Amino acid sequence: MKQITQWFSDQGWRPQRFQKACWKAYNKGQSGMLHAPTGSGKTYALWGAVVAEALATKNHPKGVQALWITPLRALAVEIQQSTQTMNRALVPHLAVALRTGDTAQSERAKQKRTPSFGLVTTPESLHVMLSTKDHQNQFKHLKVIVVDEWHELLGTKRGVQIELALAYLRSFLPELKIWGISATLGNKALARNILLGPIKNSITVQAQVKKNIRVRSILPKTMERFPWRGHLGLHLLPQVLTLVQNNATTLVFTNTRAQCEIWFHRLLEADPSLAGSIAMHHGSIDKKIRLWVEEALRTEQLKVVVCTSSLDLGVDFSPVENCIQIGSPKGVGRFIQRAGRSGHRPKATSVIHFLPTHGMELIEAVALQRGIEEEQIEDRLPFLNSYDVLLQFLMTLAVGSGFHPQNLFPVLTTTFSFQTLSTEQWQWLLNFLVRGSQSLEHYDEYKKVEILDNGIYKVNNKGVAMRHRLSMGTIVSDASLNIRYQKGGYLGAVEEWFIAKLNPGDVFTFSGKNLELIKIHNMEVIVRKSKAKKAKIPAWMGGRMSFSAHLSDLLKKALFDERNKTTREFKALQPIFEQQQKESIVPKPNELLIERFTTKEGVHTVFYPFEGYAIHEAMASLMAYRISLLSPITFSMSFNDYGFELLSDQPFDRDAFFDNDLLTPAHLREDLEKSINISEMARRRFRDIAVISGLVFQGFPNKPIKTKHLQSGAQLFFDVFKEYEPDNLLYQQALEETFDHGMERGRMTRVFENLQHHTIIWRECSQPTPFSFPLITDRIRSKLSSENVEDRIRKMYLQLEKSMG
Amino acid sequence: MKEILLNHQEFLLHPSGAVYWPKTQTWLLADVHLGKVAHFRKHGIAVPRKAEGGFYQKVNALFDHFPPQRVIFLGDLFHSSRNNEWHLFAAWTKRQSAKLILIKGNHDLITNSDFNSIGLTVYDTLREGEFRFYHYPNPSEDAFGFCGHLHPGVKLHGKGKQQLKLPCFFQSPNQLILPAFGTFTGLHLVNPSPNDRIYVTTGKGIQEIKQKIN
Repeated sequence: MKQITQWFSDQGWRPQRFQKACWKAYNKGQSGMLHAPTGSGKTYALWGAVVAEALATKNHPKGVQALWITPLRALAVEIQQSTQTMNRALVPHLAVALRTGDTAQSERAKQKRTPSFGLVTTPESLHVMLSTKDHQNQFKHLKVIVVDEWHELLGTKRGVQIELALAYLRSFLPELKIWGISATLGNKALARNILLGPIKNSITVQAQVKKNIRVRSILPKTMERFPWRGHLGLHLLPQVLTLVQNNATTLVFTNTRAQCEIWFHRLLEADPSLAGSIAMHHGSIDKKIRLWVEEALRTEQLKVVVCTSSLDLGVDFSPVENCIQIGSPKGVGRFIQRAGRSGHRPKATSVIHFLPTHGMELIEAVALQRGIEEEQIEDRLPFLNSYDVLLQFLMTLAVGSGFHPQNLFPVLTTTFSFQTLSTEQWQWLLNFLVRGSQSLEHYDEYKKVEILDNGIYKVNNKGVAMRHRLSMGTIVSDASLNIRYQKGGYLGAVEEWFIAKLNPGDVFTFSGKNLELIKIHNMEVIVRKSKAKKAKIPAWMGGRMSFSAHLSDLLKKALFDERNKTTREFKALQPIFEQQQKESIVPKPNELLIERFTTKEGVHTVFYPFEGYAIHEAMASLMAYRISLLSPITFSMSFNDYGFELLSDQPFDRDAFFDNDLLTPAHLREDLEKSINISEMARRRFRDIAVISGLVFQGFPNKPIKTKHLQSGAQLFFDVFKEYEPDNLLYQQALEETFDHGMERGRMTRVFENLQHHTIIWRECSQPTPFSFPLITDRIRSKLSSENVEDRIRKMYLQLEKSMG
Repeated sequence: MKEILLNHQEFLLHPSGAVYWPKTQTWLLADVHLGKVAHFRKHGIAVPRKAEGGFYQKVNALFDHFPPQRVIFLGDLFHSSRNNEWHLFAAWTKRQSAKLILIKGNHDLITNSDFNSIGLTVYDTLREGEFRFYHYPNPSEDAFGFCGHLHPGVKLHGKGKQQLKLPCFFQSPNQLILPAFGTFTGLHLVNPSPNDRIYVTTGKGIQEIKQKIN
């Protein structure tokens, strides 16, 4: 340990308490979880321990001894550099290598021949390594796995991927140490248990690095002019520009990539002198450009970077002085992380400016400040029974050395996600892989996994193996296509559904440039630069986030607590409250407000339970379902963190609504299930499931391969499962996920029980109210109908485009 | 069924996606994609087997309704190369008394002689008086054409932000594109112009759609 401490002082550092705690615990052979923020020295807290262990070891076998897993490739590069720096000084004969999706084939082969001591990788690349035949041999000297940024992985299916890989490696490496590094979470104990599984000898280390964070709302000069819903916040551009000009470096965080593109453009337009010192950073932009932006930020060449969550993680940008958050960050944890991007010097106060995109978000600003003061950081909900991820993992093993079901089953049930996996479900999954169905059918030519004579499940078909290898690591997002200039030059990737809406000749904005679509060819979008002024802006799906449970509580407190009435934010909101009071009411804590008004779009019925997006999504569907039982009707629904809207072409009867007690907590579960089936909320969930489980084969962006006649959309699979095989576990998973992740079952029951003590206030309004505005203008909607299709068609029409014909 | 007049002759649009031509007692069917489910399964993608089964029931019901002298498949009869579905189809053709004609589509990889051996006559395109039959949409002035390939569908709009996506018959001045007859096939949304007529099908009924210019 002395050498590590010495190295620290050589760098001019002093080991912090949490670093020493990690070194000590690790030295005792413990596993553990470290909670520490970015930029606090968390990497060396673990790597110092690993190097200390290496120093104490005399003979180093040929093989990887330490595996470091990070969620992002960009981070992997950074980690590899800092760990390699330490190794060079203390154990120069032991190298650290990098293995991600970007690693060249030749480099991979070299790593296999001469493995390095340490390996930095991503969850996907780890799985790729497990798909090789001799992986048990490759990993036999492994002593430790460090999972970095665990809070980002937990609560995603990549987290389930990690759980499976760790359980599997532990099964033949009983001495393996596992460490997690995570930002602060609400459910720390659960986060640790999920990562460490059955390991008993473990410890939790908490870094005491308290940051002072101040939130300052950006308000318009004249309060009356505050728009109800601007949705982009551009009316506050002058204030943002002043902040940018007065600080050396500013990060502007947006929630969606579309917002990111728009703000970049408008800032540059408003101040052309920013050209050259303004940049954009989001997940769809080419890696090379992103890396350049990150480097330029570090070396203070940029004055302002407009970004999305792509800059939330890891990478340290000390020079950043100022952060601006556009629109709600939807969670205290994320807000703290973003605020932490500025004032990286220890003990400096971080200031984050909050720019509300509509009036109601000002209430959130107050709620967020409260959350930060009280350190109310939200939980991350882990996935349970992700059969899609499990099927992918089973295929990974089957294309490699194969697996034996009886040996593997007990390993799987040590994971959190599959702790309740039953032998029936297990058999179902095996049948699915071997026979493609649950019954043996004559004439069927299904071919995927074979059972060898010794009982090993294995893939022998080369085509099946190749397709699996190419689709591994697809637990990301929607299908995306590369964008490339006709003359060459790669720009980034855009989601398929956006491009599908464009015709050749259309102009769209990407990466700050206006581009004309020439054609789509081989999973690539071929474009040329365009001088057109007007362009479509890709609206990426990524931006939809739900309010966390804590924040919705904070929100209610913010709205109802008298003490807040004197804040700047509430003063700014005064005109909105007055207008709301004039048209309707501002509900009190024990009131549920329902507003009804008619516009040319139809009849709007808006509910305001203030329970957060996830609950409202489910509630909307449930209420629509119950109302639709009264008489045939079709609803289009929207929801946000304050409430939800049911839009219909005809009104439903207010008295019938009250007389039938539709807000009852009775039969909640059955009604919810039925509403999910009818509203097809699960359809959206199914897309990921179809891709991950290998039903939908997308090929691989850079490697167009022949997939003759094997392409089909997830939607079509959803339809055939629904009609022909509703007990299919993948279809069932889509329904379950809608429940667990979308709506948190337990909370839903509490909400309905609470409503029993509320006074329901139904207001007939002559026009849309300020509270309703963000809801009625929302274009992302769900549907639910109890009308006969033929009757519906009779009332509908086909919209013709002007340019046609 | 929906009756329409083309070149002064009567044609019946059936909710299944097929078209009946009473004068010549002919059924027209486009894009059946037989063996698609089997093809996916053979390559390790577990589409439910039952999704394939629909064809024989559907087609037998049509033939009970109007027994044909002739059946014209407008291409993409088989999804890919031969698999076990071929034998089921061969057994079915044996029982048919009507003349069976296949207009070749891009998916039909199976050789003409194989098709001939089970009683189908194969053409690239077929002309009969003022009517033409082909796979790819390709209208011409000199005859009225029937084709498939596209799997046409439309998105309907209604009050209350309602939307509905349905397969359709797409009729332009010189051509009728049929919806896909096969079950596991998918839709391609089309952009009609004011001269076109759209008949959507729900599988049970058929309705012509009002158009509204934006």
